[in-house]
Amino acid sequence: MRSGLHYFAVSLLLVFMILGTAAQGEESSGTVLKIGTPNIVKSPSLVGDYYLGIFAHLSNPPLMKMTPDGKIEGLTAESSEVSDDGLTWTFKIRDGLRWSDGENVTPEDVKFTFDYLAKQDPNTAWMKDVVSEILVQDDSVVFKLKKPDSSLSLELATHNVLPKHIWEKVENATEKIDEGEIVGCGPFVISKTDIGAGIVYFKKNPYWTGTQPKIDAIELHTFSNMDVLSLALEKGEVDAYWKYAGTYPAANVQKLKDTGKFEIEEKPNVGFAILGINLKREPMSDIKFREALAYGINYDEILKLDAQGYGQVANRGFVPPSMAYFKETEPLKYDPDQARKILAEAGYKDSDGDGVLETPQGKAVKLTLLIQSSYQRMAELMVDYLKGLGMTAEIKTVDQSTWYTLKESFDYDLTLTRTTPWGMMVYANWGSAYFDSRRTGQGVLRTVDDPEYLKLCDQIMAATSKDQLEEYAHEMQDYYAKNLPAIPLYWGEVITPYNKDWTGWISNPLYGIYNADNFLSVQKA
Amino acid sequence: MTFSGKKAIRYFLAIILIFSLNFAIPRAMPGDPLANLLGEDVMLTEESIAELRAKMGLDLPLHEQFLAYWRDIFSFDLGYSYHLHSPVSAIILSRMKWTLLLAIPSLILGAILGTFLGALAGWKSRDAGQKFETGLVLMIYCTPPYFLSLLFLYALSFKLGLFPLKGFYSTGSALDIAHHLMLPVIVMTLFSLSRNYMIMRGSVIQERGNLYAAYARAKGLYGEEILFRHIFKNAILPIITLLALDFGFILSGALFIEIVFSMNGMGNLIYDALLSRDYPVLQGSFLVITVMVVSANLLADLLYSRIDPRVRWQ
Repeated sequence: MRSGLHYFAVSLLLVFMILGTAAQGEESSGTVLKIGTPNIVKSPSLVGDYYLGIFAHLSNPPLMKMTPDGKIEGLTAESSEVSDDGLTWTFKIRDGLRWSDGENVTPEDVKFTFDYLAKQDPNTAWMKDVVSEILVQDDSVVFKLKKPDSSLSLELATHNVLPKHIWEKVENATEKIDEGEIVGCGPFVISKTDIGAGIVYFKKNPYWTGTQPKIDAIELHTFSNMDVLSLALEKGEVDAYWKYAGTYPAANVQKLKDTGKFEIEEKPNVGFAILGINLKREPMSDIKFREALAYGINYDEILKLDAQGYGQVANRGFVPPSMAYFKETEPLKYDPDQARKILAEAGYKDSDGDGVLETPQGKAVKLTLLIQSSYQRMAELMVDYLKGLGMTAEIKTVDQSTWYTLKESFDYDLTLTRTTPWGMMVYANWGSAYFDSRRTGQGVLRTVDDPEYLKLCDQIMAATSKDQLEEYAHEMQDYYAKNLPAIPLYWGEVITPYNKDWTGWISNPLYGIYNADNFLSVQKA
Repeated sequence: MTFSGKKAIRYFLAIILIFSLNFAIPRAMPGDPLANLLGEDVMLTEESIAELRAKMGLDLPLHEQFLAYWRDIFSFDLGYSYHLHSPVSAIILSRMKWTLLLAIPSLILGAILGTFLGALAGWKSRDAGQKFETGLVLMIYCTPPYFLSLLFLYALSFKLGLFPLKGFYSTGSALDIAHHLMLPVIVMTLFSLSRNYMIMRGSVIQERGNLYAAYARAKGLYGEEILFRHIFKNAILPIITLLALDFGFILSGALFIEIVFSMNGMGNLIYDALLSRDYPVLQGSFLVITVMVVSANLLADLLYSRIDPRVRWQ
């Protein structure tokens, strides 16, 4: 028995030693900023992995960036201009940029990137529909469009620029797996993507000539458990929290505040929770029904329970004040009496006395509320609100893939979901990507096929002046307020805790603190 | 045909059937493999979606996909994951080594400790110390694994700082790996131990009342001698079955540990593949699990026949 245990211990030690040589970890040196995130990199594929692609905005900066006040400015591009007809966009590439292997960043790199990704990367496939040709002119890259696209500069704030001399040899971009250093031209470059350790390492780009960062390295620590991530923050193992299109859980904030070691940054969130409505089914297609629904929801209660009060009750215009060309529309209001009155006037009555309303056509209002498990608590509240209006609703809880399938086949009545900042801004902006029936995607509802709305989307896409955009943006918010294609449940806040040992944080509405300006500014106090 | 021949055919047919189910079950689930392929807020056109579907082979009729699946199995090709951008065999190998390193020591330690402590607890079940020990083990047995893992992590890693909070390693040295794995192994061992302990205890209590135990005592044997020379051998049979089952599910069974300790092992791989309907990864993982379950059962059959003369092969 004793010798058996001895062999077991020796074998185990040997295995550790073998794995130790197989697992080449990394240790950052100097002043290291450690950020904890629940966004897990599943594969070290720069083009293929969703989160690694976002993290790489620091090492392979996109042409454009969003400023803290939500404007689009140049990043790898120094400036941009658009022709009067909206069909030609010119981006002047910044001088003095160099890849981390010493090569110069050229307009050819940018042209290559988009020609290449349009063919290789499904996320960039939209370019085939929009861009007819990409040209290099001196130190600029010119995008010739098939049709005007007012959101092009915003789109180009999300696609990483790749070095042509490296990637032209790669036959299939998404299949390029590299755990080691990735050649980039940002202030920091990815030095290792360690899936086993759950860490993405960044080191300084030795050829970076811009503003010098005040830190030597960045580590992104991924956690599959939010409670443990909170403990890691408290313990000082990570210095800050970041989640793409998300916030630090409001319920955990007080615990961090109590330690006295954290600053809690609160910024308006452009993305928010919504009640999606299947406009293709009755009675949801009836505007009177939607009006009543809007009055039947206790927004204050949802805000308090779901976000601990971090946020505000939304307006009927859907679009939050943190977006450009916000228009003040009527605030949503909880008034169940008014809701019942609207329903009664529209012919919704409980004729058979079973406690459930019937539609004017005589069909009982029994609804299916489709949700993913993270919305369970909110769904229970919603069922209560609907019951208060004389309707019944059955909660159908499914996983993300099933939600996508049911949503795409419009097999639901109501659904609880959320918008993201990018989802709100992309396409014809102001949430249009979620409603336009001609678009699709994982989180979109595509429920509106009203020609008036579709025309408005097209007009926004074709707009070439700020005045036009402002006019259309206001029209769109009026459309939402009048037609209620979905109901915003509250406009939340992005809560970002960071250790007081660090100062100089800069965040923007699209990516929060995960932006190049921030990492050039942040420093140890 | 000999008994062993019949058994071999039975295992072979079971493998064929399970492999076919491995193909069918993921596809029978509602949901679309494309749903999680690109990210929550990526907008696509219908053409792009059709293109992706064709690239993944999902546009083919089901029977053609089924034939391709079997063709791949016979050529030892587990396919390619469009979610993880790698061949499935490479993904499974890279994840499996870590999960095995986590699960095998836990399983062995849990089996050894659980069996011996459980046997002693069953033998002296009226002893006050044993009653306390049994109560403690029962408490672990009844605690939800996720909660117990968090509790240990909170006390030993967060409060006392004895272990890291996450990952299989950070620097990658042998000592660093051992340091990272220590706490997850302790927690998993406790679970394995508690289950084996309770079964062995019950089994010994049942066996010790049999006539052969009384006969051993009449022969002049005392205390633990009767337990370990006579009762132990008979009482351990259910543990062998349990170990065979544990071994079969060793890859997926560490899921709760992997989630709490943020470890990218097989449990997380299968869980993510289920959520994203990553058919090739699901098929590949289930295939490996199938082989392990069948092998473990075969091994258990052989062990049974060695230990228990009543179930000899021939």
